[in-house]
Amino acid sequence: MGDLVSNLSLGFGVALSFQNLGLAFLGCLVGTLIGVLPGVGPIATIAMLLPITFGLDPVGALIMLAGIYYGAQYGGSTTAILVNIPGEATSVVTTLDGHQMARQGRAGIALGIAAIGSFFAGTVATVVIAALGAPLTSLALIFGPAEYFSLMVMGLVFAVVLARGSILKAIAMILVGVLLSTVGLDLETGEERMTLGLPFLIDGIDFAVLAMGVFGIAEILRNLDHTETRDVVRQAIGRLLPNREDFRQSYKPVLRGTFIGAILGILPGNGAVLGPFASYTIEKKLAKDPSRFGRGAIEGVAGPESANNAGAQTSFIPLLTLGIPPNAVMALMVGAMTIHGIVPGPQVMTRNPELFWGMIASMWVGNLMLLVINLPMVGMWVRLLKVPYHLMFPAILMFCCIGIYSINSLPTDVMFIGFFGIVGYLLIKFGFEPAPMLLGFVLGKLLEENLRRALILSRGSLETFIDRPVSGVLLLVAVVLLVVALLPSIRKGRDEVFTE
Amino acid sequence: MSMSEEGGRDRRGPVRSPQNLAAGLSLVFLAGLALWLTRGLSQGHLNAMGPGMLPDWLAYGVGLCGIALLVAAFLKDGEPLEAWSLRGPFFVVVAILAFAVTIRPFSLGPVAIPGLGMIVAGPLAIIIGGYAAPEVQLRPLLVLAFGLTPFCMVLFGDLLNLPIPVFPQSLAGLMPDGWSQKTILRVLAALMAVAAVVIHISGGRRKDGKIDVVTQPEEI
Repeated sequence: MGDLVSNLSLGFGVALSFQNLGLAFLGCLVGTLIGVLPGVGPIATIAMLLPITFGLDPVGALIMLAGIYYGAQYGGSTTAILVNIPGEATSVVTTLDGHQMARQGRAGIALGIAAIGSFFAGTVATVVIAALGAPLTSLALIFGPAEYFSLMVMGLVFAVVLARGSILKAIAMILVGVLLSTVGLDLETGEERMTLGLPFLIDGIDFAVLAMGVFGIAEILRNLDHTETRDVVRQAIGRLLPNREDFRQSYKPVLRGTFIGAILGILPGNGAVLGPFASYTIEKKLAKDPSRFGRGAIEGVAGPESANNAGAQTSFIPLLTLGIPPNAVMALMVGAMTIHGIVPGPQVMTRNPELFWGMIASMWVGNLMLLVINLPMVGMWVRLLKVPYHLMFPAILMFCCIGIYSINSLPTDVMFIGFFGIVGYLLIKFGFEPAPMLLGFVLGKLLEENLRRALILSRGSLETFIDRPVSGVLLLVAVVLLVVALLPSIRKGRDEVFTE
Repeated sequence: MSMSEEGGRDRRGPVRSPQNLAAGLSLVFLAGLALWLTRGLSQGHLNAMGPGMLPDWLAYGVGLCGIALLVAAFLKDGEPLEAWSLRGPFFVVVAILAFAVTIRPFSLGPVAIPGLGMIVAGPLAIIIGGYAAPEVQLRPLLVLAFGLTPFCMVLFGDLLNLPIPVFPQSLAGLMPDGWSQKTILRVLAALMAVAAVVIHISGGRRKDGKIDVVTQPEEI
């Protein structure tokens, strides 16, 4: 416990420096901005802003990028409540009851409880990361290549189970992602693989290029097919602070949402997206009168909003302790860390304690800032919603081009985001979800490296993955999950969770 | 691309899920491509895996998924293919290409484009890209292009010192002697910003309160 306190005070010392406070604020501001705007997500934004962080010190850079990610979770609820459009994928559930509350003239209260719930969840998640960081890191030290391989397989299975739509398609996307990661020089033999003889493919496909193409450009193309003209809300927001009765109704959902979100967020394979859905389902099941849900129940806002924020933050845990990015945003964080010469994994905490604890402390500081950014300034964000999409996307397009060009100064990178944009558009049209592919791509290189190493150590025996207890258990969990997800009755339940 | 039209409407044919058919075909194609590209790589053994082993296994996996989707397309009813729009992808890709070939000197065979820098590439990307939306109007697009480009020039070129070409070097010769690169950058940015304001003011105001918004969020 004493360790925790001294570590956190080290962290706050770093996070409260003038520069880092400024960067955290900037990150939270940008995060809220893209969270509010539907059609701009954190993945494309962080990829665009990567070059900006070149000149910063690593702690500041990561503090800013992290702020963008969890800031987006706050901003997303504003759009969901006021316009009935989720600003981010994680605020889909908030539209159900949040917008109903707005139509009953309780928009301010919905915004207020969302922000307060998120702040509480963020605070708890910060403590969870700080408390779990050390034990998980020591766990990572007993991990050999076989365990790492099995853990990543389990993460990918999670991603399959959590993906929307057909499981077969999700599996295919994971495989395609891992396949794409094998393009380029083979690590051990130095032979070129699937490079078509093109020199810029020798180092493999650049992750930022793939991410920006599949998420930035393909999203623009998809959004162009899904725009509609409508009136922008003009309703009054009303009182922001919930009253005693509102608090009485929502404190339990906030606690439960935080708990669910934090647990799901730790899971490798992007568990964080499931948090809001799970929280909403549970609140509805527990409610005395479930019919209130969908008609402006405050519990339906408080729970999911806490869950998504808790999940967004705890999803840093696998990255910081094991070096395994659980989702595409964390993969970009890996990119940002490698640019600054930091290898993500258990050694971060011992070699760069000021980075590890500074980042954790900055999350709490950032959450406090977000409370201020979101509540009193909500009017400003609402005004942003009046920017029509046909003027927004050309700007995003140019930022994507400039951002990707300045990473490597290669015009071919710019052309490739166009190519991957078309590929991503086709994938969406064919009913594939691009997120599992990106995760497969991110984990692909690590997966292959550890597979090969484990097999060398075991002299080519595949049994090593089952014989070693930790690895065996992880694989067992993966198999059970996959089987369970394929059972017809569970599949029905899974579809219900996602369509609700 | 033309099959989407037929596939979407004619549900009585043997194909019961055109979307799965297309998805399966593309996966099988991808698997075949990967297998063909890795044909020269050694497989190795499990205790010393060659460079070709994992890609081949993955390609077989992708191919199997593709075949399963193809079979499903004939057995189970599924989604039709959504309608395509060619306008969006066309203008967006052209805009990206325009940016890529003008940002720095580019030559392909007999065609050679001098490096024009962000001052040309940025507005080109915005204006060409803007035509991807059917609601396009040139004037707001020009304001956006001339307003946002100087912002990016100052942010990336001046404040952040990123090595991105900002303006064509031939332009530097036209400027008064003794002006540094940064001064030229700032003067050009200011001129563009003024142009943006002028275009905006000369356009007059038009208010109808309706705008286009995206109806679904992006995936995370």
